[in-house]
Amino acid sequence: MIRSTLLTGISIFALHTTVLFAQEHSTVSGHIYDANKQPVVSATIRLGELKTQSDQQGYFSFAKSPSGKYQLKVSALGYVTQEKQLERKNGQQITIEVLLIQTSTTLDEAQVEGRAHQLQRLQPIKTTLIDARAVSTQATSLTELMNRAPGIRIRQSGGTGSNPDVSVNGFQGKAIKYFKDGIPLDYLGDGYSIATMPLEAIDHIEVYRGILPIYLGSDALGGAINLVPRKTNGTQTNAYYEIGSFNSHRLGVKSSTSSKDNRWLFGGEMYYNYAKNNYKATVEVPDPMTKNPELVRLPFFHNGSKHLYGEIFAQLQNRIWADELRISLIGFDLAREQQHPAMMTDAYGAVRSKQYTLAPSLRYKKALLNDKLHFDQFVSYNNLQTERIDTLRGSYDWYGDFTPKTTIGETRLPSQSHINEHQVVSRSNLSYRINAQTQLGLNYVFTQVNRHGADPYGPTLEETGLDVLQLKSTYKKQVLGLSLDNYWFDEKLQNQLMAKYYSYNASGIQNTWLSANVGEKDKRTVSGNYWSLADAIRYRLSTKSLFRLGGEYTYRLPEREELFGNNIFIVPNFELKPEQSLNFNVGYQQSLFSSLDIEANVFYRRTKNQILLVTIDAPNAQYKNQENVRGYGFDIDLNYRFWKNYRFNTNATWTNLRLYGITSEKDQWMNDARLRNTPYFFANVGLQGSYENLFRGSDKLDLFLNYNFMREFYLETIPKSWEPNGFLGLSGNANINSNLIIPNQHLLNGGFTYNPSYRGFTIGAEVRNVLNKNLYDYYRIQRAGRSFYLKLSYQIP
Amino acid sequence: MNALKQVKKLVLFSAIGIITASCSNKDSVVPEPTPSTETTKYVLISMSENTLNKPGFATAFDALPSGNIINNGSNSLQGFGFGGWRPYGNWLLKMFNTESNAYGIQQLTVDASGKISNGKFIAGDNTTNGTGNFVILDENKGFYWDAAAPLKIQTFNPGTMSRTGDIDLSAIINERGQNEPAIKYRSIGQKFLAVKQGKLYANVTYAKTDGTQKGFFDDFFPDVYIAVIDIASSKYEKTIKIEDTGSIAYINDNTMYDFDSNGDLYIVTQGRSATGGKSKIVRIKSGETDIDKSWSLNMDDITPGGKFVSVFAKDGKIITVIPNTALTGGPTGNINFEDVWEFYNIDIATRQRTKINGIPPVTNPGAAFCAIEIDGKILLRATTKKGDINGYYELKGTQASPLFNVTAGGSVSGLHKIAIK
Repeated sequence: MIRSTLLTGISIFALHTTVLFAQEHSTVSGHIYDANKQPVVSATIRLGELKTQSDQQGYFSFAKSPSGKYQLKVSALGYVTQEKQLERKNGQQITIEVLLIQTSTTLDEAQVEGRAHQLQRLQPIKTTLIDARAVSTQATSLTELMNRAPGIRIRQSGGTGSNPDVSVNGFQGKAIKYFKDGIPLDYLGDGYSIATMPLEAIDHIEVYRGILPIYLGSDALGGAINLVPRKTNGTQTNAYYEIGSFNSHRLGVKSSTSSKDNRWLFGGEMYYNYAKNNYKATVEVPDPMTKNPELVRLPFFHNGSKHLYGEIFAQLQNRIWADELRISLIGFDLAREQQHPAMMTDAYGAVRSKQYTLAPSLRYKKALLNDKLHFDQFVSYNNLQTERIDTLRGSYDWYGDFTPKTTIGETRLPSQSHINEHQVVSRSNLSYRINAQTQLGLNYVFTQVNRHGADPYGPTLEETGLDVLQLKSTYKKQVLGLSLDNYWFDEKLQNQLMAKYYSYNASGIQNTWLSANVGEKDKRTVSGNYWSLADAIRYRLSTKSLFRLGGEYTYRLPEREELFGNNIFIVPNFELKPEQSLNFNVGYQQSLFSSLDIEANVFYRRTKNQILLVTIDAPNAQYKNQENVRGYGFDIDLNYRFWKNYRFNTNATWTNLRLYGITSEKDQWMNDARLRNTPYFFANVGLQGSYENLFRGSDKLDLFLNYNFMREFYLETIPKSWEPNGFLGLSGNANINSNLIIPNQHLLNGGFTYNPSYRGFTIGAEVRNVLNKNLYDYYRIQRAGRSFYLKLSYQIP
Repeated sequence: MNALKQVKKLVLFSAIGIITASCSNKDSVVPEPTPSTETTKYVLISMSENTLNKPGFATAFDALPSGNIINNGSNSLQGFGFGGWRPYGNWLLKMFNTESNAYGIQQLTVDASGKISNGKFIAGDNTTNGTGNFVILDENKGFYWDAAAPLKIQTFNPGTMSRTGDIDLSAIINERGQNEPAIKYRSIGQKFLAVKQGKLYANVTYAKTDGTQKGFFDDFFPDVYIAVIDIASSKYEKTIKIEDTGSIAYINDNTMYDFDSNGDLYIVTQGRSATGGKSKIVRIKSGETDIDKSWSLNMDDITPGGKFVSVFAKDGKIITVIPNTALTGGPTGNINFEDVWEFYNIDIATRQRTKINGIPPVTNPGAAFCAIEIDGKILLRATTKKGDINGYYELKGTQASPLFNVTAGGSVSGLHKIAIK
């Protein structure tokens, strides 16, 4: 239920009129803002019988509106609806600014999900939008939430807080880029990610499965995740505490307050996550005498994760010279225990890693030229520090028992490393609306990283004894994007044409074999410049259906670790070429009977020079351009609301990505084989029910049940002829004698949230893996069995 | 509709969801036929990709392959850790776990239908290369190295595939270089274990590093030391040395030693670095227990900047590959994937080299069965950069001719004949 608080004394509408000559129709356009001068995206604007929605800048226009008296009505979920009478004369151009006031408390879940739907519906670039705000009171995590969406699979390396690997339409690893409100997230390392951030910190997540808009200035290859933080408005505080299985605790608080004149906004947020992740897994324990492994089900004992994140800010707003000037300081401290290597072959009892930073940043926003020009600047400098500690003289077994030994390190890589990455990130974004039908955009991102460190247990150069981590490397990257947006046929047709320019320059030491007498002669500098092009078209067939088409030719530049190695066992490769990709996507969405939404998308992709880590002379490895991949896929998404209180949703994703272009005669059998270690079919089914006035007046109960299925897939390449024969490969099993198959997986989660009508309190609970099935994360890491989570949220006002 | 009815509906949907989700698990076990008579299988192995987990295939053929064949049919076994092959008699053994590439000794079994399956595994310390380096004395006894106890040699029963004990040699190893702080790591048997006439020969590592690559191309001493242990008594006898070289043998499919028909043992040392320098083939003559100082092959005298990576000895001849140019590493190096390795037949007595005709220069066969003998035929492994040649050639005198070519399954690594009862 929505409770609203309407501020008084604020001008809701501001009208500016000019007269256009020789026109039969008038033009009505304007911007929709919130109290913080932030654009309200996807607000619905009705002018008599006409209807449109605001764009990313809060802009809207009615290009050909007949003259006369009309009611203008502006509504957006989460805001109080505003109405005003308008009278228009022929040839008159009316510009309107509309201020919307936020509703004061949490939204009805269904309505917020509706908001999410609205947000994604009208974009020419296909976006999967996951609304974290709508489910923030659920006792669930961002990764669980994202796994319910079509086209996306997230696998982690061992429990809550561990590193996630996101697969978007079959792209994964470094091909997927991450952003925080449009800013590339590299500078915050693992401190701000879908694995570490709580639902409360995020408003929504935009997942791009194909073309990236230029405001995401990065060299992603067809997949990007933009975490959009929840905005703070006025005086507001919310807090939560969640407790769960495996010693999981999450707590956090987010608060802000504004000055009476609304020209200052202060706030902060702090989140703490702790999980011991001591769930049971089936592991191989060697017999002490025979050394033959036996399968034993034991709890993990060194698998914990601890994450503290905080941000404070002061924001000047509603000034003549700035719509927003925000000074922020972000800090985080992330500590992880490592229970096992990439595969669960060994137990570790002391290996751990840390990452921390303090990152001050500045963001400035200003609209100029009668709101035609929008400027957005972000800049940050920080030192991201990463430590890896493996100094134990001994080893642990799966029971947690310790055996001393003389050599250092439980893993293959003993270490006490400390790496400093001094980073500068700057993003400048400009958008200029030439007229109601045309908009230009420009985005420029500059990043520079200077990396150096030390590791007393790391490799040293033979002649000098120098710790190779002390060899400095520098990596600079620039991404310039230009876009042209055009609207035609009363905005039924929108075209977005984009060009991006990538440039990188890297310098470091070529210490390929880690034993050479490295000096000035071994310094290397590599650079590259590339252009990419993309176009996205959206055509609204009716108010209930639209069609999308997009295509992109783009690059992913080699990352600095790929070029310079990690100074441990990955050696440099200065010959790397960027990955190239050509992507196309087509989509159609339709609403039926005002209760059923259906969406279907098809994509094609062709990627060349995919970069993989390969052995070059064991134990050394090196990143190399290895594979070409092409193929297509589709997903369907269906939402159905029935019996007033219920909602059913389902989606399914199927991909057919295959290797091609292998010329070595002995390896040509891999041509047309599926991309290894990549799930090719997964589906979700969800059912939600919502009940009001159930046990007492104005209380509310939401129940949900989510089922996920993932089809078997293959850790290594198998010949196409071995694949299951069923329709789309969805039935039967691969005709192979292989130890490298990940079997079909079923996951069922269920839970509820209950608002007992006490002001601001909500209780949430979830049972994950209700069926207690065997589930696997990245590289066959076993996931937790049935587990329970309980969450209490509180919000004022 | 009142709230109670609504809840009932939801419970019904939940139950349907749970039932639907629960009924799709399929686990089927097909019983294997029991072989009743002895059959012969030729097991071919290949590495499908040169990545860290060493994925590959193994296929059991009924006859010695010929012509074009594939090694990834539906009866092939796919797994990780397809390296370190050390077959013995009718046993297929390798140094890495098939499911995870973990270090140890992995047994594979073959049934009469040709189906290959994972057998038992002896696990070891997974942090150091060399764990799982083993040699088999007979059907009841073998020796291996486990980095969990680097100064001991482990014993195992290959028949039951289980560890049986160890031989502690720490006192002997620690005698040398006692006060030398630059020696950071010591081990015995990490790279070389051989059984010859009642004696176990195990290399002693004195390494300058104790990190990721400890024990490899990091010799502290300019000489390579080998401990000689009496097998019957498990007693240490003495330490012998190969002078002025480095990096004895390696840890992979290719043991880098071989016995001549007369019992002489020939041993490869790769030299000072991964790209060679002071690389040699030396020998311990039959009936003797020390390096024959009167005989060696020195790569520096043949191709400066090269190294030996294999040795096959028979009837007074050595078959090996010699690089036709100095070796280079790095991303554009020629050491592994360029066709620079040429086959030679070397007369042991005169050290006269004769280039083998009919087989082209090949990529590095150091991590494969380079030259083997099956059914009285000497087979040479040939894989070229272009991939058009990927199989075994048959050698007759100094002339080789193609025997079979593997067109699917990856780079051929080896072939071994077994009998199944």
